[in-house]
Amino acid sequence: MSFTSRRVRSVAAAALTVGLALGMGACSAKKDNAGSDGSTGGPVTISLSYFGTPGFTQAVKDFEAANPNIKVDIKNEGQTKDFVPKLAQQLSAGSGASDVVMLEEGMLLQYLKDNKPFANLLDLGASSLESEYLPFKWKNAFTADGKKLVGLGTDVGPLAMCYRSDLFQQAGLPTDRDAVSKLWPTWDDYVKQGEVFKSKNLKATWLDSATSVMQPYIMQNSDTWFYDKSDKYIGDTNPVVKKAYDLGLDMASKGLTSKLARWSTDWDAAFKNAAFATVPCPPWYTGVIKERAGDAAKGKWDIATIPGGGGNWGGSYLAIPEQSKNKKAAFELIKFLTGKQGGIDAFKEAGPLPSSQSALADPQIAGATNDYFNNAPVGKIYVDAAKTLKPIYLGPKHQALWENAFEPAMQAAEQGKLTAQAGWDKAIKDSKALAEG
Amino acid sequence: MSTMTPTKPATRPAPAPKRPGRVRSASAALWDASPLTYLALILTIVLSIFPIVWSFIVASRDNSAVTDIPPPLTPGGNFFSNAQRVLENTDANFVYGLINSAIVAGCVTLSVVFFSTLAGFAFAKLKFRGKNALLLVIIMTMMIPTQVNIIPLYLLMVKLDWTNTLQAVIVPFLVKGFGVFMIRQYAESAISDELIEAARVDGASTWRTYWSVVLPALRPAAAVLGLLTFMETWNDFLWPYVVLNGDTPTVQVSLNILATGYYKTDYVQVFTGTALAIVPLLIVFIAFGRQIIGGIMEGSVKA
Amino acid sequence: MTTNVEVSGPRHGRRDPVSPTPRRSLRLGRLDIKYSPYLFVAPFFLLFAVFGAYPLVYTAVLSLRKNTLTGGDQGFVGFENYTKVLTDEHFWTVIGNTFGLFIISTVPQLIFALMVASWLNKKMRARTAIRMGVLIPNITSVAAVGIVFGLIFADRYGLANWLLQSVGLDAVEWRNHRWSSWTAIAFMVDWRWTGYNALIYLAAMQAIPKELYESASLDGASAVRRFWRITVPLIQPTILFTVIISTIGGMQLFTEPLLFNYGRIQGGSLNEFQTVAMYIYETTFTNNFNVGRGSAISWLLFLIILVFALINFLLVRRSVRGQTQ
Repeated sequence: MSFTSRRVRSVAAAALTVGLALGMGACSAKKDNAGSDGSTGGPVTISLSYFGTPGFTQAVKDFEAANPNIKVDIKNEGQTKDFVPKLAQQLSAGSGASDVVMLEEGMLLQYLKDNKPFANLLDLGASSLESEYLPFKWKNAFTADGKKLVGLGTDVGPLAMCYRSDLFQQAGLPTDRDAVSKLWPTWDDYVKQGEVFKSKNLKATWLDSATSVMQPYIMQNSDTWFYDKSDKYIGDTNPVVKKAYDLGLDMASKGLTSKLARWSTDWDAAFKNAAFATVPCPPWYTGVIKERAGDAAKGKWDIATIPGGGGNWGGSYLAIPEQSKNKKAAFELIKFLTGKQGGIDAFKEAGPLPSSQSALADPQIAGATNDYFNNAPVGKIYVDAAKTLKPIYLGPKHQALWENAFEPAMQAAEQGKLTAQAGWDKAIKDSKALAEG
Repeated sequence: MSTMTPTKPATRPAPAPKRPGRVRSASAALWDASPLTYLALILTIVLSIFPIVWSFIVASRDNSAVTDIPPPLTPGGNFFSNAQRVLENTDANFVYGLINSAIVAGCVTLSVVFFSTLAGFAFAKLKFRGKNALLLVIIMTMMIPTQVNIIPLYLLMVKLDWTNTLQAVIVPFLVKGFGVFMIRQYAESAISDELIEAARVDGASTWRTYWSVVLPALRPAAAVLGLLTFMETWNDFLWPYVVLNGDTPTVQVSLNILATGYYKTDYVQVFTGTALAIVPLLIVFIAFGRQIIGGIMEGSVKA
Repeated sequence: MTTNVEVSGPRHGRRDPVSPTPRRSLRLGRLDIKYSPYLFVAPFFLLFAVFGAYPLVYTAVLSLRKNTLTGGDQGFVGFENYTKVLTDEHFWTVIGNTFGLFIISTVPQLIFALMVASWLNKKMRARTAIRMGVLIPNITSVAAVGIVFGLIFADRYGLANWLLQSVGLDAVEWRNHRWSSWTAIAFMVDWRWTGYNALIYLAAMQAIPKELYESASLDGASAVRRFWRITVPLIQPTILFTVIISTIGGMQLFTEPLLFNYGRIQGGSLNEFQTVAMYIYETTFTNNFNVGRGSAISWLLFLIILVFALINFLLVRRSVRGQTQ
């Protein structure tokens, strides 16, 4: 026994020593490129933080080939909701943020207000680039006084309406995309067609969720949403918000919606099970559908124009934190990624529609078709839609107000947990409290 | 895994039948498991392993398996190709995740076991002023929720420039109140005062007593603590997720990237990742589970 | 007895005048005996001070200031953060959820763990394998549990509903009601922790002299009676220990409800299963990035845990005492 214990002990001691040494050694293998500064003349390494799937891989390779003195360290930060808090911490701590960070529209809006942590791109030479970008996208990244440009736009999300032609056929509706577009010039028409569809008693519903109509309807009919242009909360008095809410819940009460929470597993599965026939879809959404509906549904989805025409959902920006030590190189990178070549690379890799006008004009985008969507001319549909986009003022906390206060209350009403009126009252109360924070 | 060394008595014979002098016939009816007991336990185990088995089954099939009703109960043939897809996924960095998790869990386990046995022994068997108060402090430390400390801890990591390094997930966790408390509870009953006194009488210093007498006696509890610490560290989610990014992930961070990011709907990749994240723990568990349970038994007999 | 520590030595004076072992008279030995205990416990306290105590104090400081991650520190505001939190009904909703979830997960969990432990406490074949089988859920990560159970409890295409429907019951919309979401989350928690607690109980049960049971059995006590009269009272310290640990874990519940609803921090459209920990995260890391208010909620959570653990401690002690007398 004593022999055993002694042996065990010496092994333990050795293991402890080795383990701790290994641990401390291995663990101190730090990120190697934190503060390389550009003045030494050697190659500079800059970091780029992104979330989701912007399709930067090829674009960054092309950038490095064109700029042999700049190396890019790409950091995948997961989802928006993962990155938002992390970036906020890094910016407030004054270190740790990447040289280039991707900002989703909602994040950008917040940082237009608290813009101190970001560099003014006008000082880095952005002023000459205005004509490159879709005007609304360019304009949206300025602070209220118009003196500071915080980001350059990567992509835009003009809306179309994706539909399942097999379900349309079963319901006796036209299936050709032009004929389908003609079915619903307005939202009233869209609801009427939904009732026709419903009367055929198919297993599927017309739309995934009542909340899906908010974005397009408000964007088409107003240039404000929760905030007026002086950042005052107007969600309770903006008539368009209430109209959109009523439109959605009216469809729910008529049994036209699946009452699914978007981005839930059931919602994912509903694509595969053909549980609804239509869904508003920006360009990046085609990938969302394809992922979820799978190979079995290939060719069954198609794309028509959206009722009411226009509206934008999503789209991101690239910005440079003030704490970056390599702002010049960082600016070169965002110029490239948001420019023609970067836009085309990203579109081919992951499908987002660039906000660079020269990229949009390129046949590789304008002429693109999508074989998953029955060879729909997605390039033409979305580029046309992008050109009609008009700016809407969303205000600093729009994303949080929508996702964390308004949408849940609206879902509760759609699911019958609250009456339509109680849902509205809660949506307004919660979003107002959040806005006044 | 070297961390488990103290628990592995390589030359120890199989547990001898206990209490040979017992009157077997009188106790047999009381202590033999009835068929009902077996049935209850088997049901419990089925319930316990089903979700794990199911994730391995899905991981060996394709995406349709997730929502198939009724669920598939036999494995398919795609596990290795799925695993390859996960390991080659450059966003999730799964290989680094596995290596990093092994390093982190190994360092933390060694340190927690060492410091816990040291302090646990002191609290159980040594006399010093302020012992009561200090032990109370240790119990209180167990009540501090991780969430309470996340913000300041993150700011501290930024100050030290430790974000996105493995120190950030190792150093704050080198000691654990639970470990000290657990070892102290065990040592109270497992180590007799006479043993300590005898060592003292032989002229052994406190350190030597700890190293030669106490540590071997604490092996079973230290093994349990080690295993629990290893698993807890391996499985920790919130803090690594706050302080690390996809470049220096632990395996849970990799898993999160798979489960919530672009691959979210590629359930097979998610489930394969889940299965791969469990495999190393399964190996540790199967290799050392017997010692752990043996350790628990040994401790109980001594009490 | 587990939590009582006998204080040794006199309260005053530098050392015990009547040493029990007079042979220890060497100076070095005396120093060793006097200071070694402190050296042995010092590493814990030093590391804890830096990575446990300092952040806790810093959280308290932050809770008294107006501070956002995006806007930085904006000065001392006294208890304003606390009054704002305490007058917000959202806070009381999440408190209710946290306690409700804690009760409906912990009570069945510990009872079931006691049952499993008593089953395990028999002579049987494949003993180690069975014990390992019971413990196995505990080695899976919370993240993995959340992912897998999120799918098992999917509303329309999940296994749980398939099972319910195949025995003729209606499918449940798991995330749409308080009771159903709590049930699902409690199931996840219990799945992961029952086996662990059962083994802790088993360890304690093994320590009970078997003769006690044998003589009770000879006196005609039934199995149930033996369980309540012998087993439970004698493993009282262990039960207390698991209750406290479960309380602390239950009050911090975060990852399961989060992943149950696919990463949404609100926990249901009417916050049906948002816990305090999730509310802290929502307040601090989303929406207004309100570090001050998040810190205030953190401190309130900490105080609640302290109070609740104390109540637990007293209740369990009293009830188990009652059993023995």
